[in-house]
Amino acid sequence: MSSATKTSEAGPARSATRSTPLPSAGQRPRRRMTWRHVQSLKGASFTWPFVAGFAVFTVLPVLLGLGQSFFTVKTSGLGFSAAQTSFTGFDNFVRALGDETFWASMIRVAIYAAVMVPVTMVVSLTMALLLDAVRRRVANRFRLLLLIPYMIPGIVATMIWLYLYSPNVGPIRPVLALVGLDVNFFAGNMVWIGIGNLVVWGTIGFNMLILYGSLQAVPREVFEAARVDGASEVRIAFAIKVPYVRGTLVLTGLLSIIGTLQIFAEPTLFRTVSPETITKDFTPTMVIYNQAFQVGNLNYAAALSIILALVVGIASAVIYRLANRVDK
Amino acid sequence: MRKAHTRALALVAGVAALGLLAGCSAPSGPSAPATSKKPVVIDVWGWDAEMTPTVVKAFNASHADVQVNYVLQASNPATVTNFRNVMKSKKGIPCWVPATGPVTTAVVNGWAQDITKYIKPIESKFSAGALAGAKLDGEYYGFPSGPDATFALVNEKVYSDNGIAVPKTWDDLIAAGKQLKPKGITVINLAGEDPSTLIQIEQLAGAKWFAIDGNRWKVNFTDANSLKGADVIQQIVDNGLASHQTYQDRPSLYAYFDSGKLATVPLAWWSLFGYQTNLKASLGSWKAVDFPQLSNSGPFKTPGIANPGIVPVGCKYPAAAVEYQTWVATTAAGIAASKSTKTDAISLPTALKDVSKYTTAIVPDKLIDPAQSKAQVGAVIAKAQSAAIGSFNEGPDYDAWFPELQDQWGKAMAKQITVKQALENVQAFVVQDLKTKGINYTVAK
Repeated sequence: MSSATKTSEAGPARSATRSTPLPSAGQRPRRRMTWRHVQSLKGASFTWPFVAGFAVFTVLPVLLGLGQSFFTVKTSGLGFSAAQTSFTGFDNFVRALGDETFWASMIRVAIYAAVMVPVTMVVSLTMALLLDAVRRRVANRFRLLLLIPYMIPGIVATMIWLYLYSPNVGPIRPVLALVGLDVNFFAGNMVWIGIGNLVVWGTIGFNMLILYGSLQAVPREVFEAARVDGASEVRIAFAIKVPYVRGTLVLTGLLSIIGTLQIFAEPTLFRTVSPETITKDFTPTMVIYNQAFQVGNLNYAAALSIILALVVGIASAVIYRLANRVDK
Repeated sequence: MRKAHTRALALVAGVAALGLLAGCSAPSGPSAPATSKKPVVIDVWGWDAEMTPTVVKAFNASHADVQVNYVLQASNPATVTNFRNVMKSKKGIPCWVPATGPVTTAVVNGWAQDITKYIKPIESKFSAGALAGAKLDGEYYGFPSGPDATFALVNEKVYSDNGIAVPKTWDDLIAAGKQLKPKGITVINLAGEDPSTLIQIEQLAGAKWFAIDGNRWKVNFTDANSLKGADVIQQIVDNGLASHQTYQDRPSLYAYFDSGKLATVPLAWWSLFGYQTNLKASLGSWKAVDFPQLSNSGPFKTPGIANPGIVPVGCKYPAAAVEYQTWVATTAAGIAASKSTKTDAISLPTALKDVSKYTTAIVPDKLIDPAQSKAQVGAVIAKAQSAAIGSFNEGPDYDAWFPELQDQWGKAMAKQITVKQALENVQAFVVQDLKTKGINYTVAK
């Protein structure tokens, strides 16, 4: 047995002997909180606002959604009679598992994520490495500048880019025409690229900031030692800096995957400019939105939401585990 | 002590008796506002930030019994979403929601209150089309609302410069389009996200996508009339006669309309001032004409669907809601109050039997070719309003199938499928949706 264990066993016993009077016959022993417990509770109390918010705005809606997903609302005749709600068990989940439209949207977004997440990570990491290589004052200026797109709400950003992409009044097409390129971002085959570019623009600032913060924590003397050994800056970046921030890369990668699988605002707005490509069921969240607010089937939408949450959770867990295995 | 106890009991009994008496004497239901000292306050929803607040202000100033609290919504889609949420939660239900879809959908969803007893006494104020659009199975579930009938603006210069007569039928329009195409001019714009032109032509062709057949819906997107309408669109698409500018990219859309490369724009009266505001180079080149007719289709008709606003189930003061709407839609003061501060134009009271005395006032100054007087433009609009078909049953699940129609329409415009295939696909979607919802249906052969 280790000394630490011994101490932990002896501590409370001594404390109890000193401060707690022995119970008389027939009395239940009263346990008093130790100083450590009080301190722990005080510390934990700082998390209560978050825990309350998490419980009310995340756990509760998930539980309510889960409850909804076990019911089905049906009417009869011409549909004018009052709708009847009945418990149908896992029927909505069975239907969801066989819903080709939903799974097609999931595969579509998974392919998109397979391209977009690595691109976002590479660009963010490159920018973070560049910032880390310059003087802090210069880095601070660029850091703020690169974070601005992340501060712009997704809907607003999409509206801005819709104007920039506009084939008739936007500035991008004439500029590309100067170099002999005729690019129409509203064409069906260019929509993915248009959305991808917009998403990269909007998210690299955040990822870059996290990675840059992580890079700043790397001990500088390691770089000095490498330079003394004759390593170039590129070699230092790939052989020292990147391995040091691998954990942060996994974190930002996971956040990107979660965000990408739930993409909604951008394709919803792009739908109007390329409706033949972006249908109402283009992404899983669009399928869910359509079921909930157009078709009016909240129960089925709830079942789809639970499945999407499970898929995102499983994908995150698998990637996290794989990344950890690489680390080991 | 006992005496005090008895006194307390007597006091409680007295208060209870007073309460009971008050309960017995107070009029119940919708007529309550008339005798109540405090005015009834009703929530009215809408997404118009310009004119409706002024109308509400004028109504509140002139009414002691009813006061309106206008709840401004962000947009039409936001209104639908928020309304769906309040109806689900049964909290904060308003007393008036403007049309968010067909009255059938509102009834099927359990949203629309039966307001027949309030509408019957004032039926004579409204046009037949407005009354028909508010009814379902003979009962009024919506407040009579006039259809915004469609007419057309043509770029007079485009037609005259190319020696082409302004089309009176869709066949004429297709022929004109073929002549204009080599010059880089499109005859009409069909936005890829907006199938309204298809619905308009289908209405003109006499299509009946939904009909009540006993205790079930008869679904029919592919009968001869529907295919006749689809064929018109197909010819335009196959020959590449239409542009596909999206309404999402407004600057681009107006720039194209303004460029002299577009010959015809179908529209309703409320679009006129928008075009004047956003067009520049082509101001004064446009002329209002009748909506093109289908060949051999009988008397002059114009498309236009009247989707009425509703008094939601759960509103405690339906009489107050009807009183407000009646004042807005039919009285001189209400119509005058709808005058826009930006354009100085009133809102055309389309629900009325005759709108001709109001149409001149809604014609903007600079948009129309000076050769066509405001009175002439007004006459085109009044003619369109009086010939509006009004009814087009959109079935019990319009909210569900319209986005599907948008998808299919987009594919048809991109030539991925034909318009006929688009209609077949929408019908298949409708059948599946009705089945899921437990609604009886049959598919017409």
